[in-house]
Amino acid sequence: MSATEQLSPPAAGRSWRNIRQEVTPLAMSRKGRFRRRLEWFKGATAIALLAATVWGAYVLVHSWATDRAALAAAVHSKPVREIVVITDGVLTQKWAHEILALPKGTSLMALDLGAMKKRLLGSGQVRVAVLARSFPDTLVVTLQERTPVARLQAGEADGSVRQLLVARDGVVYDGVNYDKRMLASLPWLDGVRLVGKDGKYEPIAGMADVSALLAMAQLEAPQLYRDWLIVSLARLEGRDEIVVKAQDISEIVFSRKRDYRKQLAQLDYVVDSVRVLPDPAVISVNLSLDGQVPVRMHNTPDELAKLPPANFSIQPSQRKRNRDF
Amino acid sequence: MTSNSSRIIGAVEIGTGKIAVLVGEISRGRSLNIIGVGVAPSRGVMKGEVVDYRAACEATHHALEMAEKRAGARIEEVWLAQSGGHLDGFYNEASVNVKSADNTVTALDIESVCGLAKAKELPPGRTRIHEIRRPFRLDARAVLDPEHLSGRRLEVGYWIVHGHEGKVSDNIHVVGGYHLEVRELVLSSLANGSLLTTSEERQHGVLVINLGKGVTDYVLYSEGHVLVTGTLPVGGDHLTNDLSIGLRVNHAQAEMLKLRHARGNIQTRDRGEKVWLNGDASFGDRQFSKNAIETIAAARTQELLDILRRKLGPAFAPQHCGAGVILTGGMSKLPGIEEVAAAIFGVNARRGESPSWVKDELKDPMFSTVLGIFQFGLRGAHEHAVPPRRKAGLLSSITKIFATS
Repeated sequence: MSATEQLSPPAAGRSWRNIRQEVTPLAMSRKGRFRRRLEWFKGATAIALLAATVWGAYVLVHSWATDRAALAAAVHSKPVREIVVITDGVLTQKWAHEILALPKGTSLMALDLGAMKKRLLGSGQVRVAVLARSFPDTLVVTLQERTPVARLQAGEADGSVRQLLVARDGVVYDGVNYDKRMLASLPWLDGVRLVGKDGKYEPIAGMADVSALLAMAQLEAPQLYRDWLIVSLARLEGRDEIVVKAQDISEIVFSRKRDYRKQLAQLDYVVDSVRVLPDPAVISVNLSLDGQVPVRMHNTPDELAKLPPANFSIQPSQRKRNRDF
Repeated sequence: MTSNSSRIIGAVEIGTGKIAVLVGEISRGRSLNIIGVGVAPSRGVMKGEVVDYRAACEATHHALEMAEKRAGARIEEVWLAQSGGHLDGFYNEASVNVKSADNTVTALDIESVCGLAKAKELPPGRTRIHEIRRPFRLDARAVLDPEHLSGRRLEVGYWIVHGHEGKVSDNIHVVGGYHLEVRELVLSSLANGSLLTTSEERQHGVLVINLGKGVTDYVLYSEGHVLVTGTLPVGGDHLTNDLSIGLRVNHAQAEMLKLRHARGNIQTRDRGEKVWLNGDASFGDRQFSKNAIETIAAARTQELLDILRRKLGPAFAPQHCGAGVILTGGMSKLPGIEEVAAAIFGVNARRGESPSWVKDELKDPMFSTVLGIFQFGLRGAHEHAVPPRRKAGLLSSITKIFATS
């Protein structure tokens, strides 16, 4: 073992290293006090330099972000000639032009992309907007749009009624360029209270659950979904129930706590079962209960007893080969 | 201009006779370049202890300022030499049974035994300066590194150097008065021992005696490690005092006579041989017997070394001190002192010589302590920078080979 390894620093406690080394300014010599002041001055200068650097960087970044005229001059950009819109929905270049309302001859570099993005998102139909300058003169607008899942009627102050659309995330918006047939196929939303804010409406709470039900119905049971007219959220908050009014059935109660797929299968079974009855036979179907599905009908028990029994198996797979429940 | 990886260190010795400061630039923790020197006559220090804070500060700060000016750089931290009659040391050892079932020594065993050996309480008012470990013994056989070796009982001993807390802090505060921090405190004897001895000499056994103005420091090495360190509150000043009293001259005249005519042994047999006090035939110049001067000086020298021999006691054995005695410090310049030391210790004695890497202007014994501080501090800094039980990699092994060659 070398000599270096034989020495160890004294353990903490009664070691000279625990002796307080600082002395009061009075106990310092003139040179010592000068050195101390110099050290403070150096520290203060270093802090001041650091602060100045940070401030300078902030000013630079701020001016880069705000002083568009200077930036435009710096990069020699041209006036915007074209706006290219790339979207996954139905919005068009014309719509973008109208919304952005760029003054003629605006330089590409002078555009305030942040404010323009805000305007695009303000329409409600746009979920994500990315604006990019494509030098020398093109503005590229990439959009991701919301898809409506239901319609809504809102009464205006002048007494007129306005049709609005509701997206999966509950956002309420006007909707532009949608196919009218598609819109006509959407169920109406009921039992919601629209809250206005800054000329827009607050998102509707609980729409995620409703959207999930509607999407599943549309996908798995389109023959049922087609007949749905109104979806009510009046009991969603208090009882976790979504009430649907269909063409033939006045009230179908779904529970958001139960598996929608199972509830739709039960509804499908009920609808198939009562098909033999005089139309419209069913008043309400309650799918919110576990283990049983109460069905209210127009017919009396005596009338029902006289009817012939159902002539299909209760096995869904045998009943409808082209449907998978 | 210094690079980011270099530090400007000041090695400071606050001695009874002089304050010595060396400014060194240490690059990457291993290479030293001495860039400034400052020396000032000491004031306010007696027997290595500060007795007048203001005077000691003035003298020390003057030396520090001078060294900084010559270096053209500001000292960032200080490695300070510690001496004084208040310093003491004791040996404490401990042993543990190896804990593992297969009797293999683990790092935990080593840590445990080292902790026990260092755990001895100090008397009130004392503070630790150094803890110097002696080799491990595993089942009574000496081993360099016991980890992974097999054995039942692991022993280790520490030579613990301690000093009076107030006097140590006085020394530190003198440096603190210049707004500098003391990063390392090094025993003067260890600093001198590090500088003036080679590893072979330490292996054969060597006694290094630093004969200062107020105190005499010593360190005894045996089998490559420190066996004993100590300080005697006797130095060259006592010889001057004896001459002053014996020849009835003042202190300054006695100091002059000592420097010119004193010897460690008596060479002049003719009692009629005289020497002049000033030698310039000025008014009041007197003659003194050279034999008388030599007799007084030799007696004090003999007495000092005798005291040292007695203090070492059984720790010093001539047969275990093959490299002999090395003398350094101002008083070691006395002619004939080597013969006296050789006679008293029964081994060869010689004056210490600085290693070849030391520049000629720094080879004076007055710089041996501050130079030794660098040598010692560099070892310590290196040790602190490396985890104690880290395994050496291939690269570091190769580096070590070149470093020691």
